[in-house]
Amino acid sequence: MYRGRHVGYLEGSRYKGSTHMLAWALHRITGLGILIFVGAHVIAAFFLNAIGDNISTTITTVYESTPVQIFIYFCVLYHALNGLRLIVEDLWPPLLQYHRELLWFQWLVFLPVFGLPAFLMLMSYLSGGA
Amino acid sequence: MRSRYPDSGSTLEYTLWIFTRLSGVLMLLLGAFAVVYNNLVGGRTLMDIAAQYRWGFFPTYWHVQNTNVPDVFPNWSNSFWQIYALLLFLVAAIHGFNGLRIVVEDYVHRPYLLLFAKGMVAVLFLFTLFAGAVIIFELFV
Repeated sequence: MYRGRHVGYLEGSRYKGSTHMLAWALHRITGLGILIFVGAHVIAAFFLNAIGDNISTTITTVYESTPVQIFIYFCVLYHALNGLRLIVEDLWPPLLQYHRELLWFQWLVFLPVFGLPAFLMLMSYLSGGA
Repeated sequence: MRSRYPDSGSTLEYTLWIFTRLSGVLMLLLGAFAVVYNNLVGGRTLMDIAAQYRWGFFPTYWHVQNTNVPDVFPNWSNSFWQIYALLLFLVAAIHGFNGLRIVVEDYVHRPYLLLFAKGMVAVLFLFTLFAGAVIIFELFV
């Protein structure tokens, strides 16, 4: 709970949690990213079918644009991989001994699986494709 | 700041903690099964990979309507996929909004503001469930 500590953003960013703090923060950010994307998607579909309002088209245009799609891909992939790592560590606590190696292995899987499709999407986007 | 482990003594918190783990795996399995099914019934030649994944993570027929699928019935639209989509949607909504509640509890400290914020999370959750049920079962007026 709240302990009345007031830590500035600059000081907070220098917190020595390093890699695992980054993993925690990214898990939180990507989770909220997925929630916003899925929520917007559901609301757009709901208003399109139930009311037929223009707001659906507006929302759809935003989340179907390539930059948002790349961000969503980052969110889903990171959240899934990081969540699987947390499950493995929680269910087999002896593995916590190797938590650093697990995190590096996670990045080793994440970077190519995210990077290649994101690169292709970005190239297609920059060359005027969909 | 909340630790990764649930507060001891609270059965609900513990249940939700377990649920978050199980539902995370379940969502991946449900998505993978739908993608595999999609490919087995012809999705490999009828649609691109984006449409396959749209189907995988929310198997409702309008996710494949704009592809080359000639007829969405019976492979892509029946009660099985409606219940499948509802299960996936329900599990995902609980997982997501429980996560949002935990984030809100981390950053909102004033008791009445916290109560209000959690109330808003509950309202959003219920509205999303309603909207999802309307979309899946086509309960349009």
